[in-house]
Amino acid sequence: MFRERSILHFNVADFAVAVERVIDTSLKSRAVIIAPFAAARAAVYDMSEEAYRAGVRKGMMLRQATRMCREAEVLQPRVDVYRKAMKALLRQAQEYSPLVEHGLEDGHLFVDVTGTHRLFGPPVDVGLQVRRAVRQRLGLNPIWALAGNKLVAKVASRLVKPVGEYIVTPGEEQQFLAPLPVSLLPGLDDREVRQLRDFRIATIGQLAGLSRRQLMVPFGSRSDYLHDISHGIDNSAIAAGARESVPVDHEHIFADDTNDQREVEAAVADLVSRAGLELRRRGQEARRVGIWIAYADGAHVVRQATARRRTASDFLLLQLAGTALARAWQRRGRLRSCRLVCDDLYRQSPQLALFPETQPGEVRQDRLLMAMDNIRNRFGHGLIATGRQYPALERCCGTEANIPCH
Amino acid sequence: MKERKTCGIAVGTSGYSYTEWVDNGFYPPATRTSEMLPLYGSRFSIVELNYTWYQMARAEAISRMLEKAPAHLQFAAKLTRTMTHERDEGWLEQMQLYRQGIAPLGDRLIAVLVQLPPDYDRSTDNRRHLAHLLDGLQGLPVAVEFRHASWAVDPVFAELERRGVTLVTVDEPALPGLFPVLDVVTNPALFYVRFHGRNSVGWQSSNMQKKFDYDYSLEELRQWRDAVLKKMADRADRGVIFFNNHVRAQAPKNAAMLAGLLTGEAAV
Repeated sequence: MFRERSILHFNVADFAVAVERVIDTSLKSRAVIIAPFAAARAAVYDMSEEAYRAGVRKGMMLRQATRMCREAEVLQPRVDVYRKAMKALLRQAQEYSPLVEHGLEDGHLFVDVTGTHRLFGPPVDVGLQVRRAVRQRLGLNPIWALAGNKLVAKVASRLVKPVGEYIVTPGEEQQFLAPLPVSLLPGLDDREVRQLRDFRIATIGQLAGLSRRQLMVPFGSRSDYLHDISHGIDNSAIAAGARESVPVDHEHIFADDTNDQREVEAAVADLVSRAGLELRRRGQEARRVGIWIAYADGAHVVRQATARRRTASDFLLLQLAGTALARAWQRRGRLRSCRLVCDDLYRQSPQLALFPETQPGEVRQDRLLMAMDNIRNRFGHGLIATGRQYPALERCCGTEANIPCH
Repeated sequence: MKERKTCGIAVGTSGYSYTEWVDNGFYPPATRTSEMLPLYGSRFSIVELNYTWYQMARAEAISRMLEKAPAHLQFAAKLTRTMTHERDEGWLEQMQLYRQGIAPLGDRLIAVLVQLPPDYDRSTDNRRHLAHLLDGLQGLPVAVEFRHASWAVDPVFAELERRGVTLVTVDEPALPGLFPVLDVVTNPALFYVRFHGRNSVGWQSSNMQKKFDYDYSLEELRQWRDAVLKKMADRADRGVIFFNNHVRAQAPKNAAMLAGLLTGEAAV
């Protein structure tokens, strides 16, 4: 029998900052930037609403961020603390449903409360109860939204940032979405947003007015997805546990446009180390690595490389990223940014191989990565790196080997 | 002396959109949320909107709801909790937003229900807050529901009467400190009654499924009609009655029972 779904989306805005503010209440009235300031190329990990308004963005170089928001308090990221807070947040929601999908330390939760009304009452009341419990027990104030699927719940919660709630009545998804800008739809990449802008499609309603066939011409295999999301259709289930299907995605924006090969390769090595760390944290492995490069003149190129076996090792990921970069970077123009996406993800098997498949060198590499992960998890990503991530150092040492720095 | 017209009484429920009411047979099997309001309207002529308590009323959402509502259906709308239960610094500005949000209801709006929290006693601060609240809602038909017994005093009734504000009469568990059952009419244009159920154990719980789980008997409703409603009807032009015991669709069942008693069609 048909049953409408009830999906709650909770989001603690600027989660890392919110946690730091619970720990140190004097930060509440100040702009806050969280970044590993000990690192040579420190990038912003998270920032408060005040810093965001001043122009600070995630991934921005810390030097640039502090120029934009001089009054900001800069804090070292404490990933283990944020993860602990995330677990506590999770526990509040799990009192109402076993189906809770969440990120690792981003303050986002999707809770499927379909069919729980006889136990806990209407879903809207569950939303309020969870929020109250989180406020009282953790001192955090999540935004929450209620809708019939994850897509609409997420869009709705984007409308009420930094505090508030939004309830979308089942059956009204399309009418709710129609007047909103297409940029609010999750899952669109920059190229698609630009394409829609070129077609003068500003609202989700305008996008919904196009048929699948019309969308097929410019968007190819993505046309079905665009058609569905513009109509508020999302049948994806809540995957209990940490989100696994979302690709690992990191971007580097060069301080100045560059065509220096060493600088670009160093940036890619840095992105690989971040992606590798995230994969290992998630307990996942990837088979495909994509490199997106943006030229200074606005052109974009995307190329991928696929491995025979899946991996979470920085060393193998770096080989794939190098192949993808060589395929993507064919022009002489300067680059503005570079993005690395690991997808085709699989869960890391806890089962040991019957016959060892890895070479002794790979075992050593894995041990090295494990040691680096421990340091990074404790003190932040920027505290330790490989020589490839430092073009100046690489020039000076003239080596291909990975040199742990700091 | 001017003769009072016969008091017209409408009976309905607090909210209409409950999945549980499909399970319990009030709505036909597989009824979708978007189909509930027309079905509700085929049985009742008034409904109390309680989702406006959870989130700020939004004109576009109310307009979409009205498109589905039968023409005869009238509404009471709860004031958003951010002005009563969880008010912050911006609560005065929120009243403007609320007024804009419920504007599409037009003359189908019978009352704005201001429900005050259980710990909201008659302190100086709270009296000042309530006065600002009623000033901000001026021009709208307003009904105030107190949960704290300290408000059950004559000066409060006199002030509500002066402002033309309806005092909500409640039926709830007989627990100490709760606002008592009174047949006071402070606004001759409208009396407003809410039946919350008499589940004394569940009342202390934060779980709505326990709090509002109660099934009124015909005898209890008959006593209410004779002891309270008749007196109130004698002093008002109009009355609205809502059942809030929504668990297992007891609210629409009890509302239909009371409507039957009032029209003399109830089974004895």
